[in-house]
Amino acid sequence: MELILSALKSLAYVLIFPGFLFCFLSGMLLCGIDRKLVARMQKRVGPPILQPFYDFFKLCGKETIVPAAANKVMFLMAPLLGLASLVVLQLFIPVFQYQIPAFAQVADVIVILYLLLIPAVSIILGGASTGSPYAGVGLSREMVTVLACELPLVLVLLSVGKVVGAESDGGICFSMTGIVNYQLAHGSLITHAGLIPAAIAFLLVIPGETGNHPFDAAEAETEICEGMLAEYSGAPLGVFKLNHAIKMLTMTSLFVMLFFGGIGSGLESLVALVGLTGTAARVVGMLLAVLVLFLLCVIVTAVGISFVHAVTARLKIEQIFKYYWTVVSGLALLSLVLVWYGL
Amino acid sequence: MMTLNYIASFFLIVLGLYCIVVKYNLVKTVIGLSIMDYGVNLLIITIGYNPGGTAPIFTQGELQAASYFVDPIPQALTLTSIVIGACVTAMSLALVIKLKEMYGTLDTREIRRLRG
Amino acid sequence: MKYIDLLNFLNPQHFPIFAIMLYFLGAFFIVLFGKNRIARNCIAFLATGLSLTLLILLVKPIFLDGGIIAYWMGGRIPAGGYAIGIALEVDALGLFFGLLVATAVFVSCLYSFSYMSEDDNEPQYYTLFLMLAGGVLGMVFSGDLFNMFIMVEILTFAAVALTAFRNRVTGALEAAFKYLVVGCIGSTCILAGTILLYQQAHTLNLAQLATIIPNCHGTNVTVAFVLLFIGFCTKAFIVPFHPLAADAHGAAPAPVSVLISGVLTKSGIYGIIRLTFFLFQMMNLGAVQFWLVFLGSVSMFVCVTMALAQHDFKRLLAFHSISQIGYVLTAVGLATALGASAGLYHAMNHTLFKGLLFLCAGAVLHETGTTDLGKLGGLSKKMPWTTVLFLIGAASISGIPPFNGFASKWLIYQATYEKAVETGNIGFAFVTIVALVTSTLTLASFVKVTQSVFFGQLPKECENAKEVSWGMRLAMSILAILCTLTGLFPNAVQKFLTQPAARTMYNVSQYIDGMFQKGYAVQEMGMSAPEAAAVRFETVGVWNPGNWLILLLIALLSICIVAVASKYDAVRQNKSEKVEAKYSLFYGGEPTEFSQVGGGDLFWGFKHNWRHYFSFMHDLHSGIVNDYSLWAVVALALAMVYALIVL
Repeated sequence: MELILSALKSLAYVLIFPGFLFCFLSGMLLCGIDRKLVARMQKRVGPPILQPFYDFFKLCGKETIVPAAANKVMFLMAPLLGLASLVVLQLFIPVFQYQIPAFAQVADVIVILYLLLIPAVSIILGGASTGSPYAGVGLSREMVTVLACELPLVLVLLSVGKVVGAESDGGICFSMTGIVNYQLAHGSLITHAGLIPAAIAFLLVIPGETGNHPFDAAEAETEICEGMLAEYSGAPLGVFKLNHAIKMLTMTSLFVMLFFGGIGSGLESLVALVGLTGTAARVVGMLLAVLVLFLLCVIVTAVGISFVHAVTARLKIEQIFKYYWTVVSGLALLSLVLVWYGL
Repeated sequence: MMTLNYIASFFLIVLGLYCIVVKYNLVKTVIGLSIMDYGVNLLIITIGYNPGGTAPIFTQGELQAASYFVDPIPQALTLTSIVIGACVTAMSLALVIKLKEMYGTLDTREIRRLRG
Repeated sequence: MKYIDLLNFLNPQHFPIFAIMLYFLGAFFIVLFGKNRIARNCIAFLATGLSLTLLILLVKPIFLDGGIIAYWMGGRIPAGGYAIGIALEVDALGLFFGLLVATAVFVSCLYSFSYMSEDDNEPQYYTLFLMLAGGVLGMVFSGDLFNMFIMVEILTFAAVALTAFRNRVTGALEAAFKYLVVGCIGSTCILAGTILLYQQAHTLNLAQLATIIPNCHGTNVTVAFVLLFIGFCTKAFIVPFHPLAADAHGAAPAPVSVLISGVLTKSGIYGIIRLTFFLFQMMNLGAVQFWLVFLGSVSMFVCVTMALAQHDFKRLLAFHSISQIGYVLTAVGLATALGASAGLYHAMNHTLFKGLLFLCAGAVLHETGTTDLGKLGGLSKKMPWTTVLFLIGAASISGIPPFNGFASKWLIYQATYEKAVETGNIGFAFVTIVALVTSTLTLASFVKVTQSVFFGQLPKECENAKEVSWGMRLAMSILAILCTLTGLFPNAVQKFLTQPAARTMYNVSQYIDGMFQKGYAVQEMGMSAPEAAAVRFETVGVWNPGNWLILLLIALLSICIVAVASKYDAVRQNKSEKVEAKYSLFYGGEPTEFSQVGGGDLFWGFKHNWRHYFSFMHDLHSGIVNDYSLWAVVALALAMVYALIVL
C-alpha cells in the first residue's frame, strides 16, 4: 500500500507538478510572453499570448510524415527523449523552499549540467536520423553552440558552488537545495559582489542554451530551413517546439534559483500573516512560491531573451563560439577567481 | 675500475637513443635498439659485482670465506634480458622486411601514412 | 611422498597462478591443435572462460573478506624475513585489474570467433591473443618487479605482433614498427629502473622493496623512479606516447583494439599505481600529485582535441581511449580516497564502454570494409542492433546519465574540486573545468561519429551491409548490459569493487604483511601501520539513480506510445520502390544527390576558432618514428630534471 502511494506520489511529481503539466503550461506561457514582448519592442502587435498553445495543438492534429530515408524509431523517439529529460531536469530545480524529497540532498548541479545536454543530443539524433543535408549542417551548428555554452556554464556553477560551500562548511556545495537554502538564510547570491560577473555570464548563456536569437544559427530558418527540424512535421515537431519552450523555463528558473533564491525567504511569513496554518498554508505557500518564481522567470526572459532578440541580428556559428569562449567565459572566469580569493 | 663500466653503459644507452632518434634508416633504428639493450645489460652485470658481496640468499650467519662471490641474480637477469633483446631484434627485422616490401623504402620519413 | 591431495588444487590459494597458466597453456595448445577450427575455438573459449571463472571465485576471499593471496612459486617461502623465491601477490587492487582483464579478454574472444573467421593464420592469432592476455594478467598479479618486466615484454610483443597481424591493411606494419621502437624504449626504461632498485635493496620482491625503498634517499632512487614511471607511461600511452596508441588501434583487428585499449593501458595504470603508492610511497608529496594530475589533464585534453580532428573511426576511438585514461590518471593522482575510488571506477567503465565501441567499429568494418568516416553513413537502417549498442557506448563515454560514464565522471569532478577547495589551490579547479569541457568535447566527437556512420545518408558502397552475426552481437550486448548495470548501481559498484581496491591503495603495510607475515611492515620500517579505517570516502553528494527509474518508466511509456503510433496509418512509411514526393527528403529544389556533410567538416565553427592549434597539432604528429622516439627521450629527460629538482 505504502509502495503504491509513494509510486503515485512520484508519478504526480513527474506528470503534474513540477513535472510535465507545470512545464507545459508555464513553458508555453513564457514562450508566448516572449513573442509578445519581442513584437512590442519592434513596434509590432505580435501574436496573442496563448499562440504557442494554439500552435502546439494545431501541429498535433497534423499528419506526421516520416521520410522514407529516415530511421523511423529514432525519428519518433528523439523528441520524446528530449521532453523526458527536460521534465526530469525541472524536478531537480527547487521552487524556493519547496523541493521534491526524492531529488533533494544530491549533488545535482552536475546532473543538471549533463541533463541540459540531453535535449540538444535528442534534437541532434532526430535530425541526423533523417539523413537530410540541412539537418547535417544544423546538427553541426547545434553541437558547436552547446560546446560554446558549456565552458561558461561550468565556470558559473563552480563559482556558485565555491561561494556557498565556503560559507556554509568550508567545503564545496554542488547541491541545488543547498544553494537555495543558503540563500534563504543569507540573502540572494546576486548581492555577493564576486558573483555579479557570473550572473551576467549566466544571463548571456541563457539565449545560447535555449537556441534563441541571436544564437540560433542551428535553426536558422532563412539559410538552412530550420536545420534539424527540416523534415519534421505534425506531433513530433510540436513536441520539439514544446521542448524549446520548456528549456526557456528551465534556464530562466535555474538562473532565478541560483542568483535570486533568497527572495523566497519572506513567503512563509507572508502566508502566516494571513493566518493560514497546516496543509492549507503549505499549499498556499507553494502556489505563491510558484507564482513568484514564474514572475521572476518572466522578468529574466524579458531581459535575457526578448530584449536581446529584439536588438540583435543572428550571429555566424564561429562568432557564437568565439563570443562565448572569450567574452562570456572571461566574465565567468573573473568571477571564479574573485570568489576563490574570498571576494 | 667499475666506474668505467658505468660510464660505458651510460654511453651505450645514450648512443642507442641517439641512433634511434637521429637515423632515418629502419635498419639503423633496429641497431640503435640493440645498442641501447647492450648498454642496459652492461649496467646490470656491473651492478652485480660488489667487492665483498655475495648472493642475497646467504644470511649473515651462514657466510664463510668461500661464499663471497659475484651476485648471481643480475647475471640471471642479464640472460633473460639478452633473450628478450634477441626477440626484439628478430621481430623488428621481420617488420623491416615486410615494410620494405610494402613501401619500397627503408627511409622512416617516407613511412608515415598514419599521421595527424 | 604422500598421495597428492587433489582437493588441494581447489584451494583459492592456487587460483591466480591457474588463471595465468590457463592463458599460456591455451596459447601452447592452440599451436599444437590449432589447425582444427573447432578445437581451436574450444581451447580459446575454455582458457578465457575458466580464467574468468577462477577470478570471479576470488571475489569473495579478497574483496569481501579483505584477504590477500601470496603465492610462492615452488613453495619457496621467505626465509629469515628475506624473499628468495618468485611470488605472486593478489590484493584487492590486483584482483580488480585482473577482473577487468579477464572480462575484456573473454568478451573479445567471443567476438573473435566470428570476426576473425575469414582471416587466414587464425591459430597464430589466438596464440598471440592468449599470450597478450596472459602477459597482462601475469603483470597484474606479479609480486616481483623483474617478473613484471618480463610480463610487460610478453604483452608488448604480443601486442606488436597482433597490430601487424592484418599486414595488408594500410599502416598496420608501420604502426607495429613504431609501437615496437617506442615500446622498447619504455621497456628498457623499466629494466634499467628495476636494476637500479636492485642495486639499492638487493631484492626484487615488491613487498620487500616497499619496506626498503621509501627509507632510501638519493639520486639513484629518484632516477629509478623516473625510469620506471616513464616505462609504465609508455604502456598506458599517456601523452606524449599517445600517437602509438592511435596508430596501433587503427590498424589492429577490433578484438585486439579492445585488448590494447581496455587491458594494455590498464596494465600501465596499474604499474603507475603500484609504483607511486606502494614501492615509493610518495603520493603524499605535492610534487608527485601535481605531476600525475598534470599528465592526466594534458592527456585528456590533447587527446580529445586530436580525436575531434580524426576522420577514421578506429583512430578516433583510440584517441578517446587515451583521453579517458587521462581521467583515470588525474583521479588517481589526487591522492585522496575519493579520487582513487573514482579513478578505479572510471578505469573499469573505460574497459567496458571502450570495448563496446571498438567492437561496434569492428562490426562496421566487417560489413562495409572501411572505417573512413567520409565513406560511411546511414547504417542505422542496415544494422539496427549495432546502432543501438553503439549509442549506449557513446552515451556511456560522453557521460550521459544514467550510463556508467556519468557515475564515474561525477565522482572525478567531485574529487578534483574537493581537492581544490581543500588545498586552496585554484589549479585543481581548472582540472575540474578541463575535465568537464573534455567530456562535452567527447560528446561532440561521438555526435560526429553517430552522424557520419549510423545516421545521415547511405552511400552506394554501403548498400550491401547487413546486421552482423549473433556471436558478435552477443559479445557487444554483454558489454552494453554491463555498461548500463554499472551505471544504474553505482553505490553497489563502489561498495563491492572500487572501494575495497582503493582501500588497499592506502594500506601498504597490509600488502607487505600479506607477502611475509603479520607485523613485518611495522618491524622492518619502524612505522606504525597506517590504518585502513582512516580512508574516508566522503562525497559531496550521492549519485542516486533510483530516481532515474522514473525516467526509465517515462521512456518505456514513450516507447509504447511510439510503437502504437507506428502502426497508425498517418505515420506509415512508404514501402514501395518509388518514393512518393511527400516521403522523400527536401533538397531545396536541387536534384537529389549524395550530399552528406563530411565528418571532418562537421564542427567547422569550433575548428575555425582553433585552427592554429589544430594545424600545429597536425604537423606535430608527423608519423615519423624518429619524432615519436624523440618525444619519448624528451619526456624522459624532462621527467628526470623535474624529479631531481623537486624530489
